[in-house]
Amino acid sequence: MQKKADIENSYSKSDFQQSILYHVRYSTGNDWDNVSVDDLYKAAALSIREYLIDGMLSTSKRYNDQNDIKTLYYFSMEFLMGRSLGNNLMNLGIFDLAREALEDMGVDLEEIRDREKDAALGNGGLGRLAACFLDSLATLGMPGYGYGINYQFGLFKQEIDNGFQKEKPDQWYNENSPWLISKPEDACIIPVYGKIDHFEDMDGNYNPMWMDWKILIGIPYDFPVIGFGGKTVNFLRLFSAKSSDEFDMSIFNDGDYFKAVEQKIASETISKVLYPSDSIAQGKELRLIQEYFLVACSIRDITRKYLSQNDSFDNFHKKVAIQLNDTHPSLSVAELMRTFIDEYDLEWEKAWRITEKTLGYTNHTLLPEALEKWPVPLMEHVLPRHLQIIYEINNRFINYAKNILPNHPDAIRNMSIIEESNPKQVRMANLSIIGSHSVNGVAEIHSGLVKERLFPDFHQLWPEKFNNKTNGVTQRRWVLKSNPLLSKLLHEVIGDGWITDMSQLSKLEKYMSDSGFLANILQTKKENKERLAKVIFESTRMRVDSDTLFDVQVKRIHEYKRQLLNVMQIIHQYLTIIEDKKDLVVPKTYIFAGKAAPGYKMAKLIIKLINSVANVVNKDPLVKDQMKVVMIPDYKVSLAETIIPAADLSEQISTAGMEASGTGNMKLSMNGALTIGTLDGANIEILEEVGAENIYIFGHTVQELQKMKQDQSYNPREFYDNHFHIKRVMDIMGSNALCSDISGLFQPIYNKILREGDYYFHLADFQPYIDAQEQVSLDYHQPEKWAEKVVVNIARMGKFSSDRTIQEYAHDIWGIKPCL
Amino acid sequence: MQLEVRHEKSVMVVTVINARIDAQVAEEFKNQMFQFISEGNLNILLNISQVSFVDSSGLGVIVASLKQLNGQGQFAICNMNDAVVRMFKLTRMNKIFKLFDSEEEGLNYFANLSTD
Repeated sequence: MQKKADIENSYSKSDFQQSILYHVRYSTGNDWDNVSVDDLYKAAALSIREYLIDGMLSTSKRYNDQNDIKTLYYFSMEFLMGRSLGNNLMNLGIFDLAREALEDMGVDLEEIRDREKDAALGNGGLGRLAACFLDSLATLGMPGYGYGINYQFGLFKQEIDNGFQKEKPDQWYNENSPWLISKPEDACIIPVYGKIDHFEDMDGNYNPMWMDWKILIGIPYDFPVIGFGGKTVNFLRLFSAKSSDEFDMSIFNDGDYFKAVEQKIASETISKVLYPSDSIAQGKELRLIQEYFLVACSIRDITRKYLSQNDSFDNFHKKVAIQLNDTHPSLSVAELMRTFIDEYDLEWEKAWRITEKTLGYTNHTLLPEALEKWPVPLMEHVLPRHLQIIYEINNRFINYAKNILPNHPDAIRNMSIIEESNPKQVRMANLSIIGSHSVNGVAEIHSGLVKERLFPDFHQLWPEKFNNKTNGVTQRRWVLKSNPLLSKLLHEVIGDGWITDMSQLSKLEKYMSDSGFLANILQTKKENKERLAKVIFESTRMRVDSDTLFDVQVKRIHEYKRQLLNVMQIIHQYLTIIEDKKDLVVPKTYIFAGKAAPGYKMAKLIIKLINSVANVVNKDPLVKDQMKVVMIPDYKVSLAETIIPAADLSEQISTAGMEASGTGNMKLSMNGALTIGTLDGANIEILEEVGAENIYIFGHTVQELQKMKQDQSYNPREFYDNHFHIKRVMDIMGSNALCSDISGLFQPIYNKILREGDYYFHLADFQPYIDAQEQVSLDYHQPEKWAEKVVVNIARMGKFSSDRTIQEYAHDIWGIKPCL
Repeated sequence: MQLEVRHEKSVMVVTVINARIDAQVAEEFKNQMFQFISEGNLNILLNISQVSFVDSSGLGVIVASLKQLNGQGQFAICNMNDAVVRMFKLTRMNKIFKLFDSEEEGLNYFANLSTD
């Protein structure tokens, strides 16, 4: 069927309108006269879906027609896709056509786009990175697919009640999403639990048998991912855990129907909810099963597809690359081995060679205490056969490592997959490193620390495995879609090449002295700030002035990201006005957004502190509107798309050595926000690109902080005693001045800094931060000078396109190529 | 649980009539198999050509039957469909049973045993 197969040439307004009318009537069941905005969203999405399906089929055919094609499968527990309607229209190249077509029908595209719920199947950077990667893979025409879980409830919806975060369930469309294509014919049957029967085979060899398991059923739902230009449509395959009575009975030719029905509630729980943070997930049986469910369904799907085109597994690693997004999918090592050995009778050595050559592991964690581990008794209960295989992998590895490093018992102990604690733990990072041919960090500094601090023994053993792949973000979503005004300006000045080749932004440099262009850049920013001001008013009823400097910190709330340092600086500025009677050089609006994990008390207290400071500052007549503080609730991808284009200043102020990369820093910079930040994560590479005069770097380095920790020389009390500014701010936080309704509310924050060692070095970096902020104000006070810096930041962000990142992964790790 | 039983020389051929061997019939299946063994039928060929699915409890009965023989006889299986073979491989049970594509092949195996 060729109805819309020629997706480059066949769009017309009338086709699109006919399709909308059809779906309003036959998919939503309404007359045009009674149609709601939600119905219109659904009809528009279903109309676009037809193009996407045609694109998926033609892309799949194109890939299949090339015999030796290698395919990448990106395993991630999180994919933060956000909204899709605008993005899909943009990448199809019919955004304007669709807007006009709808306008003719009396429908506002913006209004219906705004009705789409975010697919919030992730917590933050890790999940959004996965989504950006899928966009780049499709745009580059590379065979690469995401594999994840179709959570019914994504990340919680955040409400702010009296300054406190309240969490509400956020049910996205899930299986009813117009973007998802159900594939029950590809359902996977997955065993879990049970026990090992120790038996001998017919030749008298040990033959462990995995008996008494229960059944999980994974139904795939494909989320099309269209590349820019529409030529390639890959997909994200999301598995829903389902019981058996809701789909085609044919699945039960090899399924356990009655048990599946009995387990209906239990099995469907598997894909019910995304864990809101690693720390909350730690040790939870359901989380372990979720990770296994993702891995087992995905590997079953991939091996089935591979075997439909190949007779043996000899070339598996030449046709299949699997990337593990952090340790969450690291059971892949054991599941691939189990599949090869138990189900297909491969010899251990051969199975191991193929497994290792197939898998790559991306590390996102720098804190040793945050590395994922699972108690051995829990693993044995849930996955007894996998635990056996992990023990065998470990035994063989230790024998190998002892040969290479005969006099290093500590190194062997550190590298062992099994931690000899009570109870014993399975170290998932060690399993991933041992079972993969590549281990990468996500920024230069991070990859260095992975080698030197996190896994020095592995690095000594296998230096060639370790490499860096600095993160990137897709400019299609984060500039083209989210910042149409800047995109239009870029189009007028340097054309559209940057959309698929972001290095072309460097062409802007020759306009740095063009006062007309600089004025346009500032005007664009102002209009984006006005757009954000409206959103702020709608969500908080607070009016902010778009002529003030918009100082933005948007990210998950976490102590290491140091929103607290930002708040302390705000209090300092406030006290400068009301006690020192000094006016600010430029008026500022401090904008926060971000969610705290529900069980993370300190992060939730920081949210309350932000709102309490806002309450005091915003109402104090002495401030004379020189500063305002606002926390916008429910940070998510779609909100980020409004905030980021409007930012003047990007707060990237984590404690050095704690942020693996960050990607918000890149998004903000490419939208013309200047960075105030520490020498951490990708900030360092942004500094290298834009030059020291176009970024505000402050604070202690990783090495300096490390030395202070080693010497135990950091004493936050000294900073308190010796610096009036610091003492004044801390005293306010320790008093009830910010929390008249709840006495002593912020005492835990005060104590953590002054009595419990200030683990995140707030006070060590406080004065340098104040100084950097003062320099920001002085520069912002000179609009043309500021605008030049803005242009440099935009022009030099080419490196931070996820297209570059994906090309590096493809070349260095996966061995995949564009298939156009 | 419906089983059809016949003897071919020293071999008892047990044909499962049910389409499924699962938790609902596992107990009865086990009782019948144990009964056959206790009656001195030590060479058993299980024909499951009509079985489209075996769950983990069904698999457990087959293993228990082998154990019940206690090394005194032979237990072979024939005519397994692909789905059942997959379940055997999943559990590694394919490595402890003689598996044959047809009843004839299975009976030949037993015949050769007695002549060896």
